[in-house]
Amino acid sequence: MSVTLTIDGTEVTVPEGTLLVDAAKRRGTDVPVFCYHPKMKPVGMCRVCLVEIGRPARDRATGESLLDESGDPLIQFGPNLETACTITVGQGWQVRVSSEKAIQGRKEIVEYLLTSHPLDCPICDKGGECPLQDLTMGHGSGESRFLFDDKIRLAKRYPLGELIFLDRERCIQCARCTRFQDEIVGDPVIGFYERGRRLEIVTYSDPGFDSYFSGNTTDICPVGALTTADFRFGARPWELNSAASICPHCPVGCNLTLSTRREASNAGRDVVKRVMPRQNEQVNEIWICDKGRFVHHYARSPERLTSPRVRKNGKLVKASWNEALTRAAEGLKGAASSAVGIASGRLMNEDLFNLKELMAALGGRAILVDSMAGGNLIQRYGVGVGSNLGSLGKRDAVLVIAADLHEEAPIWWLRLKQAAERGTTLIVANARATRLDDYAKHRVRYGPGEAVQAALGLLHLNGGDPELARFEGDRALKSAARAIKRARNVTIFFGQEGLNYAGTEALARACALITESKGRVGKSNNGLVAVWPRANTQGAWDMGLRPEPAGLHRALAGAVAAYIVAADPVGDDPAAAAPFEKLSTLIVQDLFLTATAELADVVLPAQAFVERAGTFTSGERRVQRLYPAVGALAGSLPDWKIVANLAHRLEVDLEDKAAPLVFERIAAAVPDYLGLSYDDLAAVEPQWPEVGGADLYFGGTAYANKQGLGVQLAPRGAGRPLKWKAPPRASAGKDLLLTPVTVLYDRGSALRHSRLLEGRIAPLQLILHPDEIERLGLSEAGEVEISWDGRSERLKFAASTDVPPGSALVPRGAGLALSDPTPVTVRRSNS
Amino acid sequence: MLAENYTQEIEAILAKYPSDQKRSAVMPLLFLAQREYGTLTNEAITEVGELIGLQTTEVASLVGFYSLYHDRPGGKYRIQVCTDLPCALKGAQAFADELCEKLDIEMGETTPDGQVTIEQVMCLAACDRAPLFQLQGPNGFRYHEDQSIGSAMALIESLRVRGQVDRAHRLTAS
Ligand code: SF4
Ligand code: SF4
Ligand code: FES
Ligand code: FES
Repeated sequence: MSVTLTIDGTEVTVPEGTLLVDAAKRRGTDVPVFCYHPKMKPVGMCRVCLVEIGRPARDRATGESLLDESGDPLIQFGPNLETACTITVGQGWQVRVSSEKAIQGRKEIVEYLLTSHPLDCPICDKGGECPLQDLTMGHGSGESRFLFDDKIRLAKRYPLGELIFLDRERCIQCARCTRFQDEIVGDPVIGFYERGRRLEIVTYSDPGFDSYFSGNTTDICPVGALTTADFRFGARPWELNSAASICPHCPVGCNLTLSTRREASNAGRDVVKRVMPRQNEQVNEIWICDKGRFVHHYARSPERLTSPRVRKNGKLVKASWNEALTRAAEGLKGAASSAVGIASGRLMNEDLFNLKELMAALGGRAILVDSMAGGNLIQRYGVGVGSNLGSLGKRDAVLVIAADLHEEAPIWWLRLKQAAERGTTLIVANARATRLDDYAKHRVRYGPGEAVQAALGLLHLNGGDPELARFEGDRALKSAARAIKRARNVTIFFGQEGLNYAGTEALARACALITESKGRVGKSNNGLVAVWPRANTQGAWDMGLRPEPAGLHRALAGAVAAYIVAADPVGDDPAAAAPFEKLSTLIVQDLFLTATAELADVVLPAQAFVERAGTFTSGERRVQRLYPAVGALAGSLPDWKIVANLAHRLEVDLEDKAAPLVFERIAAAVPDYLGLSYDDLAAVEPQWPEVGGADLYFGGTAYANKQGLGVQLAPRGAGRPLKWKAPPRASAGKDLLLTPVTVLYDRGSALRHSRLLEGRIAPLQLILHPDEIERLGLSEAGEVEISWDGRSERLKFAASTDVPPGSALVPRGAGLALSDPTPVTVRRSNS
Repeated sequence: MLAENYTQEIEAILAKYPSDQKRSAVMPLLFLAQREYGTLTNEAITEVGELIGLQTTEVASLVGFYSLYHDRPGGKYRIQVCTDLPCALKGAQAFADELCEKLDIEMGETTPDGQVTIEQVMCLAACDRAPLFQLQGPNGFRYHEDQSIGSAMALIESLRVRGQVDRAHRLTAS
C-alpha cells in the first residue's frame, strides 16, 4: 500500500508506514533532525524536525471528507507544529517544511539547544562537518536571548575510555549514542545520568565504553561531543582528502574511507588521519568495528622495512632491489620444482595471482597458511548473488557453527543480531556460549571439538544419508534441524573453532550438504559463508592457493627454497623454525622484520594496504577494490610487483606495471572472475539511507559510496555429488582439549604496531572452568604448567563458566604456539 | 553483599516479575540497596545489576534519573526543591537560593548538624504548586507545596527538634 501526500507543494508517493521525515528525504527535502537517525527507532526528543501538517478534514458524524468551495478536499492545519520524525505519512496530507511558521519553530528549538552549547566550533573536531553548526547557520538566530553567564560549564575532555572522548558541554542530549549502543549493538555501556540541563553521558564499564563498536557513535553524534582518541585535534575536516579502501582485518570486507592530509610530520606527504565507514548496505551498512577504525597506525610504524636485505656472512644487511631480487631469483631457479611459495589471505588477489603463476611456472607449489578448509566448496555452494544479511526476514534462517562472530567478524555479528531481532531464525551451534547466543532462537551445544558431529546431525534430519543416524543429537539439535527444514532460505556460517584442518574440511562438507538439502543453492540468502581467519582467504582459494592439510612442515619436506609472503610461520610457532633453517634459500616478503624474516636469506619490503590498489574477495564472495590513500613508504613495493620483478629474472612473464592490468589477467584466467574488470567493481547505485550529502545530520559522517559496491560472485552450483566425511577422531583422554579461540584484539603485528588498542589486547592466559580449577587444586592467583607432545609452557590462568567440560581455552595469536585444538596435560606450576 | 544479607527479600522482589523480565525488579532492588548502604555507591549499583543481568551503566542511569535515589551522602533529611522551568517562573529558583542562604549552606550541601541537605531537582510534576519541594527522610517522602521561606524554615526547625529528640531517645536507650 502506498500513500500520496504533498510536501512543500510537490506530490510524493511512498509506502504506507513511512515516517514523514524519510518521505521528505526521498523527495529531496531535508527536514533537520538531531535525535532521529534512519537506522534507529524514532524518539522525538530534540524537537528540531518541526513541520506544519495539514490533514484532510472529515465530517465527524459521517466520516466523509469535507470539500472546500472548489470541490477539493478541505485541508485542516492544526495549531501546533509536529515532529516529522515520529509521524507516519497519511493520504492526502499537505506538509509544509519551509513555511514561515515551521522555520520559526525550528529556529526557536535551535536557539534553545544553544542555551548552554559552547559554540566552540573553531576548536571543535566536528567543526566543518557538524550538523549543529550547519543548522545553526541555516536555522539559528544570529543572537541568543539567553544570558551568557547562565551557560552551564561542564567537563570538556572527559575520557569515556581510552578510545572515545566526551565534551559534556557540547552534548545536545539526542541519545543517538546511547540508543546506538543499546538498540543496534546491544552493549548498553554508556547511558544518561541526571536530567535536564545537568544531564550527562556516563560509562561504568571497565575498560570504559567497553564495546567493539564504540567508534560509530562519533559518526552519528550530531555535534562534537564524542570524538575518537585517534582523530581528536588531528585535522580539520575540510583539509582532508579521501580514498576508498577495504578493511584488511577480517572476512566481512567493510568498506572504508581513509581520510588523509599532507603533513610536515611526514615530510609533506600524505598521512592517514582517520578511518571511516563507507556506506555499503550489503556489507557493512554505515558501520565498522573499532579494530577496523583504529588499527591502521602500523602502516606508519618506524619498524616498517624500507629496503631489501640479503644475508652476507651470516648477517642480514641492506641491499638494492636488484641485488636482492637477483639473489632471490637464483635461489628459486636452483630449486625449481622444489620451491614452495607460502602466503596468507592478508594479500590481495593481484598478489596471490602473481605468486601462484610464478610458482606454477617453476613447477613448485603455492601454499596457503590459513589452515582452514572449504574455499573450494564456497566456490560451489557460496551464497547466491544478491545475498544481503540486511534483507533477511522472518522466513529465513541462519546457522552459525564453530565460530564466535563477535570476535571473528564483528559486523557479521551485528547484522545477524539485527536480523534475529527482525524475526530471522538464528541457530548458534558451538561447544561454548558465545555472544550471539543471546539472540539465537536455537542454541546447539556439542562436546569440545565435535562441531562436525553436530553438523552431520543437522544434515541427517534434513534428508541426509540414513547412515548418519548415529549423529542424531539432543532435542536442541533436532529442533534446530526442523527450523532449517522449515525456513525458506538458509545461510550457514562455519568457522574453525575446536577443529583442525581435517575437521574444517568435514564441517564444510556437512554444511554444504545442508544447504544443498534445501534445493536452493545459488539463490540469494542461501549458501555457505566461511568465517575465514583473514580478509582475503577466499581470494587466495580463488587464485588457486591451497593449504597443506598435513601442515607446513610437510609442505617444506624436500623443499630447497621457500618464498614466504605475508606470513610468519616462525613467529607463530618458534619451534617450527628448523625446516626453514635447512632451506638453501629462504625469501621473506613482508612489512616488518618478522621472526621468519630474521632467518631469511633475502627480505623484500612490501607495502601496507593504505598505500595499495588491489582487490579483496570477502567471505560473502564480494570482490571489492582498494585504492591507494597515501604514497608508498620509500623503499617498499606492492607485493604483486615484487613477485613480477622476481619472475622476470626467471623469464616468467607476469604483469608488473599496474594492479588493474594484473586484474585483467585474473579476469582472463580465473574461472569465476572471467570478464570482471575494475570498472565493474567501481560501479555504484543509490543506497538508502542517503548519507554523506550536505545534510550530515541525517545519517552521520559515514561516507557515501562513490568508488564501488563491489561485485558478488555467483556460486557455480552443486555440480558433481558431494559425500559427507566422518569427523576426524580426536580424543583428549584424561587430558583437557586445549582449544584456541579467536579474539578480535589479538597480538597480531597490525595490533602490536598500532598504539591505540594496546590496552585491550587479550592477555595470554589459559581459561579454565572453575570446577577444573578446583579439581586441579589451583589457588586463585598463580600459574599452571601445560604440556603436550613433549613440550611444555607456563601460563597464567583465568576462570570462566563458559568453558565446556573437558576443555580449556586460550586466545589465538596471544603468544601460545598452538593453532589446532590439542590435548594437553595441565598441572599446578611448582614455584 | 546484598545477595547474601537479603536473600529472602531479593527472592520476594524477583518473584513479583516474570523470570525472563528480571530487569523489571531494578527499582525495588535499588531501594533495598539504598536502605542497606545509605547511598548508592558504584559497588551497590554493580551488585544490583548483577542480580538482574543489567549493565552497571544501565542501573546507574536510573539512579541518575530519579531523585529518590541518592548517589552521594547527605543529611538525615533531604529537601529537594524543584527549580525546573515552570517552577522557576513561579520563583522557585529564588526560593531555593534564599533557603540556602538562610541555612548558610550552598546548594547540595548539608547543614553542619547533619540534619538537612538542600538539593535542586527536575520537575516533580506539581508545577502549579510552586515553590515546592519533596522532603525525604527516614520515614519516606512527602511533598510540601506552595511554600514560602517562612513555612520551609518552620518545617526545618521542627525536623531539627525531632532529630534531637530522636538522638535523645537513642542516648537514653543506649
Ligand atoms: S554525546 Fe552526541 S550522540 Fe550522545 S547524546 Fe550527546 S549529542 Fe547525542
Ligand atoms: S568487521 Fe571486520 S572488516 Fe569490518 S571493520 Fe571490523 S575487522 Fe574490519
Ligand atoms: S524530534 Fe525529530 S529529530 Fe529530534
Ligand atoms: S517544573 Fe517544578 S514541578 Fe514541574
